[in-house]
Amino acid sequence: MGDMKTPRQGMTRRDFLVRSTVVAGSGFLSIGLPGLIAAKDAQAAGTPAFTPSIWFTMTPDGKTTMHIVKAEMGQHIGTGLAQVIADELEVKWADVRLDTPLESVANFAVYGLAYTVNSGSITTEFDRIARAGAAGRIALIEAGAKVLGADAGDCIAKESRVIVKSTGKSVTYGEILQKVTIDRKFAYPNDFKGIALKSRDQYSLIGKSVASLDIPAKTNGKAKYGIDVFLPNMAYGALVIPRTRYSSKVVSIDDSEAKKIPGFIKAVKIEEALGKCTGWVVAVADKYPTAMKAAKALKVKYDAGPYAALDTPTLLAQYKDLAKNEKESAAWVLEGDVDKGLSEAEKTLEMEYTTDMICHATMEPLNCTVQMTNGEWHVHIGTQSTSFARMTLTGYLATVLKKKPEDLKVFVHQYLVGGGFGGKQDYDDILAAAWCVKEVGRPVKLIHTRESNFATSFARTPTYHKLKAGIRDGKLVAMNQDIVCGWMGARFGVGKKYGSDWLQLDSVDGRNQDIDQWSIGGSDHWYEVKNHRVRAWNHETTTWAVQASALRTVSNSYNIFVVESFMDEVAHAAGRDPLEFRLAMLNGKGGNRGIPNSGYAPGTPSDYYMDRLWISLPWASENSWPNYESATVGGALRLANCLRVAAGKAGWGTRRLPPNTGLGIAVTAAEERQSPTWVAGIAEVTVDPATGSYSINKLTIAMDPGIVVNPKNVDAQIRGSALWGASQIMSERLTLKNGGFEQSNYHQYQPIRLAQVPEIDVTIIASDHHPSGVGEPASTIVAPAVANAIFNAVGARVRHMPISPDAVLEAMKKAKA
Amino acid sequence: MPQLSINGQSYFTDSPPDSPLLWVIREDLRLTGTKFGCGGGYCGSCTVHINGQPVRSCQVKLGDVDSNTVITTIEGLDPSDAHPVQRAWIEHEVPQCGYCQSGQIMQAAALLAANPNPTTAEIVQHMNGNLCRCATYSRMVTAIHRAAQLAREA
Ligand code: FES
Ligand code: FES
Repeated sequence: MGDMKTPRQGMTRRDFLVRSTVVAGSGFLSIGLPGLIAAKDAQAAGTPAFTPSIWFTMTPDGKTTMHIVKAEMGQHIGTGLAQVIADELEVKWADVRLDTPLESVANFAVYGLAYTVNSGSITTEFDRIARAGAAGRIALIEAGAKVLGADAGDCIAKESRVIVKSTGKSVTYGEILQKVTIDRKFAYPNDFKGIALKSRDQYSLIGKSVASLDIPAKTNGKAKYGIDVFLPNMAYGALVIPRTRYSSKVVSIDDSEAKKIPGFIKAVKIEEALGKCTGWVVAVADKYPTAMKAAKALKVKYDAGPYAALDTPTLLAQYKDLAKNEKESAAWVLEGDVDKGLSEAEKTLEMEYTTDMICHATMEPLNCTVQMTNGEWHVHIGTQSTSFARMTLTGYLATVLKKKPEDLKVFVHQYLVGGGFGGKQDYDDILAAAWCVKEVGRPVKLIHTRESNFATSFARTPTYHKLKAGIRDGKLVAMNQDIVCGWMGARFGVGKKYGSDWLQLDSVDGRNQDIDQWSIGGSDHWYEVKNHRVRAWNHETTTWAVQASALRTVSNSYNIFVVESFMDEVAHAAGRDPLEFRLAMLNGKGGNRGIPNSGYAPGTPSDYYMDRLWISLPWASENSWPNYESATVGGALRLANCLRVAAGKAGWGTRRLPPNTGLGIAVTAAEERQSPTWVAGIAEVTVDPATGSYSINKLTIAMDPGIVVNPKNVDAQIRGSALWGASQIMSERLTLKNGGFEQSNYHQYQPIRLAQVPEIDVTIIASDHHPSGVGEPASTIVAPAVANAIFNAVGARVRHMPISPDAVLEAMKKAKA
Repeated sequence: MPQLSINGQSYFTDSPPDSPLLWVIREDLRLTGTKFGCGGGYCGSCTVHINGQPVRSCQVKLGDVDSNTVITTIEGLDPSDAHPVQRAWIEHEVPQCGYCQSGQIMQAAALLAANPNPTTAEIVQHMNGNLCRCATYSRMVTAIHRAAQLAREA
């Protein structure tokens, strides 16, 4: 190591280059990919602002800018990622800045897929960016040693300084960059493996609640979201609410009334392509209130399409029928022999569960601003994936303008995201705005009204579940879960049937059926059950009719409600305490002990998650990053530990509770089996037996996410997601009627408000293991914990989410009968 | 052309009198700290102060105000963005996505102006109309108590 004259030939795409380039008399240190830097050297000469690095750029004034491709949508992810890099780089935190690269074809080749989803940012980036930071530190120490005339082995780095241990002499990073040119290569894979990452006791920033860099601007109006964009000569667009959620066709538009409104420009019928913007008409005007008024004044006639009569009860009835047809199912979990296990059981339990739709309802409605200038399309938006935004618009324009994708120049400018939750990864709005731009010849800012935002929601599918349990000797010996719902992956082309094997899994029953794990995940729990089977059915009509999509924790959001409610039912049927019953099965045996590392294992889900998606270009095309520890290490034993902590703190089995009050338990290892975050929760709920209404008094939550980068932010995410869970069990409900969503604004669709907020006791169990995501998992456990608490309070078992007071009353009556 | 007085400055707008004040503030005057959430008075993202009272600007028409109306937006809450509520918000790291927070801060500041030492129950009652989809609620309550303390110390 340390050969600064290594020629650049023979480098692979994954070698790190740490170089400083001389720009206007001052050096920049950057860490990036060789091809990129070589190609850009010429440019650098006259451009002081040039930042050729993929992860960070350090300037001679000592400032270091971290380049963050993850969307900032409430999780303060830029701060978290920067903490990891800065810790290894040994840069002063006060000198750290953040920026966001522009999304373009060229930058995509450098940064890879810009996509923020699945609580995966820290989990998937941690090892890589830690190594990037460490590589920078090593190069700086070597260069600093030269400047100081010392031996690199005698030098350490601390607070943006290289210090000679034996003499105490030191030089700042900034001074080093001014004095020498660094050209240091880290070859893949050996030099990478040779980078010694810090051990946990050496961390100076990881594990500290440093103040998040995005927060001050969010208290004074200076924070810029997509909706805050202005472009010269910009017009505004407001959507006419289509007749159905999906697949209506515009037959005619009568704009005679709209034309009387001063400032109205045009009613634009959006050209449909790629199954987007079906039945969309946008009123374009010089001001937004005018556009809203005009949208109301337009009289649009529709062919209402195939879903015109569809409603939620019809869907649920169809699910139940579909589940009778075993041939159509695909197995997702298959362990032991479930049928045999059930037939040998002393007692069996069979229950049906259903869940309603919910939607994201982000406080910032969907919006975007599109401009076409000098042959370039520029999109301004706050989105979870600038990459998908660019790709979708490119594909759309290629289709509707009959051009080659490679001839289209599309750029996406990222802004703060005013709430994501999975709801900002669809791009109908960009396509519509782009088509408006083409029609009116001006930049267009398209903003959904709250009503059009609800009407075009991407819903969490309704679901139907049938569960069977076999109990023998007080133990759960066999479990079957059948799930019918819309498969959200279909809209993204997941599955052979939809022409793509991207992220597609095969069923495990040898029948070579598609499985969309995003619609089923969570049913593959960490309890030891010798005979366990999960079968799934795709109700395709749902997928399209409600535009089924991912919401915070995706399918865990309903499956954990079902699995954990049912586990309590089984415990009660077996005559056992729900806590003790769970702990006995969370024994970390067999497949539930976790796997040792993140390595590539063809045919396993880790293949899909780690290599194809998260470790995205340019890394994805080659085999694998050096293995790092899997988040699954420790397995179900870590979950059992969380459960003990939460149950102990909540006083499970030790407290005298007020009348009509109960405690309820739930656990989860969301998000995926490959990236679990271990969480247990106890809800304390009081029910009014006269009305069935209930209130959550307290939530006690214990989470083990492995290494905790920023405890205060983790705490915020746990609280926020726990209340998301409380909200979805108490009050959120989206329903379909005549092919459209019934709820139009927050008076009908009701997220949790302050008065409903319970006390929340959060325990973060920071273990030494690879970090896992924290933004979602706690949202899954609240619904089942509340359902179980209601049962323990008044004996009412409600097998539907959300739980309404009427349903509690009815279940109480049933229990008495 | 209607004249408005916002944050102590005069503004002119060519918007028609039936325009919601929210859109005039945001899009005409480009004071984008005030946010659009629902347009129906349900969420509080658009909260500004009108003559010292917290008001949903999406429910006020431009024609309902004139140059004598004292309008304050988040940008004008404090000349150095250091109102006790803002300081407490930063100290307790209240915002997540941040989108609702201008409205929350304006609503909270109005509470403290009227009631310098609110109880938790009073805070809950006063803030209940402001939605936060990220559910930053418990930190908000803590931060409002802290802001009351900061204001007393000042
Ligand atoms: S935007 Fe005014 S209350 Fe929601
Ligand atoms: S901070 Fe995101 S909506 Fe309140």
